[in-house]
Amino acid sequence: MEKKYGVYICKGCGIGEGVNIEKLANNVKGMVCKTHDILCSPEGINLIKEDMKNEGVNAITIAACSPRVKTEEFDFPGALIERVNLREFVVWSHEPNNEETQSLAEDYLLMGIEKIKKGDLPEPNILQDLSSTILVIGGGVSGMNAAIEAANAGYKVVLVEKEAQLGGFANRLYKKIPTGEYFNKPLIVDTDIDKLIKEVESHPDIKVYKSSKIEKTEGQPGLYDVTVSTNGGSETIKIGAIVLATGWKPYDATKLDYLGYGKSQNVVTNIEFEEIAKKGNGKILRPSDGKEAKKVAFIQCAGQRDQNHLPYCSSMCCATSLKQARYVRQNNKDAVAMVLYKDIRTPGRLELYYKEAQNDPGVMLTKAEIKGVSDAGNGNLFIEAENTLLGEKIKLEADMVVLAAGMIPTTREPQEYLDGLTLAGTKGDEAKAKYIEETPKPEFILNLSYRQGPEIPSLEGAYGFADSNFICFPYETRRTGIYAAGGVRRPMDMSEAQDDAAGAAFKAIQCIDHVSRGVAVHPRAWDITFPDPLLIRCTSCKRCTEECPFGAIDEDEKGTPFYKINRCRRCGTCMGACPERIVSFKDYSVDIIGSMIKTIESPDEETIRIIALVCENDAYPALDTAALQRKKIDPAVRFIPLRCLGGMNLVWIADALSRGLDGVLLLGCKFGENYQCHFVKGSELANYRFGKVGETLNKLQLEAERVQLMQVAIAEYDKLPDMINEYVERVKEIGPNPFKGF
Amino acid sequence: MAEQVISPDLKFVEDVIASGGGDLKKCYQCATCTVVCNVTPDNKPFPRKEMIYAQWGIKDKLISNPDIWLCHQCSDCTAYCPRGAKPGEVLGAVRKLAIQHYSPTPLSKMVGDPKYLLILFAIPVLLFLSYIVPKGYLDFSAIPRGEDGGIVYSKFMPVFPQIDVTFGAAAFFAVVCFVLGIKRYWTDMNKGVSAQGNIADSIKATISEILAHKRFEKCNVTKDRKTAHLLVFYAFIGLAITTTLAIVYLYGFHYESPYPLYDPLKLIGNISALALLYGITSVTGNRLKNAEKAGKGSYFDWLFITVIYAIVVTGILSELLRLANIALLAYPIYFAHLVFVFFLFAYAPFSKMAHMVYRATAIVFAKHTGRDK
Repeated sequence: MEKKYGVYICKGCGIGEGVNIEKLANNVKGMVCKTHDILCSPEGINLIKEDMKNEGVNAITIAACSPRVKTEEFDFPGALIERVNLREFVVWSHEPNNEETQSLAEDYLLMGIEKIKKGDLPEPNILQDLSSTILVIGGGVSGMNAAIEAANAGYKVVLVEKEAQLGGFANRLYKKIPTGEYFNKPLIVDTDIDKLIKEVESHPDIKVYKSSKIEKTEGQPGLYDVTVSTNGGSETIKIGAIVLATGWKPYDATKLDYLGYGKSQNVVTNIEFEEIAKKGNGKILRPSDGKEAKKVAFIQCAGQRDQNHLPYCSSMCCATSLKQARYVRQNNKDAVAMVLYKDIRTPGRLELYYKEAQNDPGVMLTKAEIKGVSDAGNGNLFIEAENTLLGEKIKLEADMVVLAAGMIPTTREPQEYLDGLTLAGTKGDEAKAKYIEETPKPEFILNLSYRQGPEIPSLEGAYGFADSNFICFPYETRRTGIYAAGGVRRPMDMSEAQDDAAGAAFKAIQCIDHVSRGVAVHPRAWDITFPDPLLIRCTSCKRCTEECPFGAIDEDEKGTPFYKINRCRRCGTCMGACPERIVSFKDYSVDIIGSMIKTIESPDEETIRIIALVCENDAYPALDTAALQRKKIDPAVRFIPLRCLGGMNLVWIADALSRGLDGVLLLGCKFGENYQCHFVKGSELANYRFGKVGETLNKLQLEAERVQLMQVAIAEYDKLPDMINEYVERVKEIGPNPFKGF
Repeated sequence: MAEQVISPDLKFVEDVIASGGGDLKKCYQCATCTVVCNVTPDNKPFPRKEMIYAQWGIKDKLISNPDIWLCHQCSDCTAYCPRGAKPGEVLGAVRKLAIQHYSPTPLSKMVGDPKYLLILFAIPVLLFLSYIVPKGYLDFSAIPRGEDGGIVYSKFMPVFPQIDVTFGAAAFFAVVCFVLGIKRYWTDMNKGVSAQGNIADSIKATISEILAHKRFEKCNVTKDRKTAHLLVFYAFIGLAITTTLAIVYLYGFHYESPYPLYDPLKLIGNISALALLYGITSVTGNRLKNAEKAGKGSYFDWLFITVIYAIVVTGILSELLRLANIALLAYPIYFAHLVFVFFLFAYAPFSKMAHMVYRATAIVFAKHTGRDK
């Protein structure tokens, strides 16, 4: 593209008062440069549009406010745009009208111009023969609702269920909790799962495969080839996006033998209790002797919120036990349901359900820590508890004990197996072979033919749930195009699963729409750039294929990386990972950032200049917010945004320091897969690479303290300026970089 | 810490609910009640543990527990309860069930249940009618008059044997019931608890505490109950003195009623009656005023209050109508007065009247075991 540059400087929002605009504009050489009082006004926008029309300007540098605001005003299709943040990063966070502030504004403007000079107008990469069919895996409440939502939105749906009939757990339930008002209404109602099954099976746009499994999932969003094995045969279907609704399994209660499970037939899980109620059509006939149970104890959090078992809360068990207490009570006025809990957790409107259940005299509740369940003779059981609110140990006798065992996602077992396999692999081929031989292989769900493994990868703190960042991006898994709904995403009840299904279905639709336009699916949902590696220089080191947080890069037989571009989220982690620096985006590359850094020069040998590479997702907004609050930052620092700190390349640090800059600051998010990072753990990856920066500094004989990485959350805007200023003070104490002026 | 086997008694839970603890089940055991209670001891405080026992129907732990009587139903707990479970009212209901449990006759159920109210009144009504109907006294003109032609109630209903034998028997019955009940209660309370110190000291301390009504002072929400209850309490003592004097007059000096208004007996009696009227009116007023915060009270409570009200009103009217010589009203009102007094005496061990005996006993026990200092 033949670039015709235009630079537009806004004087509004205090920029004109804090910076000498005329002097600033004088730095722009050989290109159109205009100033305006309020650039985002219709007149200002028109000024740019006129230049585009009359002068053919197509590479526009807008020096005004933060690129995070006024995105609609400063949107000029067909042009390359660079936003220079004079408002937040210069005038709002620095003393007006002094030499350092002026120098800061000039450096930012020159960096912006450099970036637009180096960058190119991106063209979207739209793949051919895209499918818009949505595959839903799992025919339970979540899966069926997702299928209906997607089909009603006009998409073809393929629903794959491994059982012989649709319905999932709902088939096993006797009754469910009503979703309307609880007051003075029946507190247990029919699940009506048959109606939902009928709706799915009779929908013209939903094709149902029962007794079927996913044999293989190949390809990428829009271009999946999914092989479904069914009735001995198999069929390969073109799929656009996938909703993963494979649900959950009850926690293995045999691990709860201290609660009597496996020792007495009359100790059952909450799911088994449903089946007993369903079988007896409401009558609770206990397994040991078929006698009607009149004194049923419910032990909440059985193996939940317990470091030895499940550390989390399954969120639905309290309400479920309260519902099941109704089963005990409904046929028998003398029957009692005794609910022993750590805490009753009935979120949202279910609190009212709890209150209603509480009012039944035969539903007895109290807090207790269960020490054990033992035989009391005649099939009855003693429950021993301590830490009760009575300040005493108690012992209760019951006909039957129901354990509120928790939910584990169906994705967990494959993840654990695969993690074990990876670990065994690190110990050598022999250990790996032994592992494969000795470990029972769990049922896989997706069977992805991805370089990074066949299933959704495990995520620290997600306990096997198919999650990537529940804070910001529900439904997103770590595999683009695959969206989790229902119990496989997080513990939830049926009515939540119903809502969840709609969310995941719409994410799948969004995915199909974005890939059809060549736009990143998520979270850079506007981005048409994509990584374009210069493979001729690739050494097949595999760092990119290993480090990509989303498994977007496969390898060919020779180990050369092979991008599946529709899986890519454009975070640039591969760009940071590549030791050959061959990965580039049209407007984001090692060279572009490096060139921007090179525009910065100290005016003299005493003046400190520091660059800060800043995570766009957390640290950058935090800086904007700090500026909005007029918090002052030392003018020695120039911020350069990175899509993710995972894209940080060490050469930038080496270049900066060898060119005489006095320090490099990296602002990333918190380490770990702790849900803060938009791209899983870019900041931690940067830190890992950063560990090697010592060598560079040694070679240059520079102090290690000149380079520092800080972890910042978006909410820490109040602390951030002080953190930065303290760092600048430390660099000032060390003194100017001796390479200055070389 | 002793381990206790808990066997929930659903019937008991339903009884508590039916006896005025209607909001018992709303409790989620947070202990706000225990925190705001100024009356509870610090060690093993009430009323949360009582709420849990009540919700789980652990009857034996509750009714033999002196704590339910250490509670004076200030209702601070009820006012601050975040779920509106009204612990004060629940404990009131539990106390009623405790009274019923320890009184060994079927009457205990009947007094607590409005279904039997008519039967309970029918007993004294028929009894007293049986004295007057054979004499033809339903025709008031047939009733002999005094020497000055004035109404003399003892000529309508002779003091001996009718009145004194009847009330003597009723009182005896009540005392026997109380003794039996307290004996069982004392035995139950003593299980697993060791007493300490001198019982006489505990009794002395209890009496002085009751006379001063000290515990009521700790209440917040129902602060003004102290004066009202104190008035009723001392009025009853005054009326007891009046009755004793009447016995002394009659059997010691053969001095028969009616007595002149300046007589010490009359003076004490009339002052006590007015104090009782004022006191019970205040009790009622306070209850109505605090109903929103402290709860409306149970049938058991209101029956007791109503009977006292009826006694004092019919008593005062009997005297006034006698002095005014309005026979048409005087005799029926006096008759009613006797019926209500009988109700109070004979049913005392089963009605809320019993609280004076059980509460006093519980306080003695609590002091004796170091539970209450």
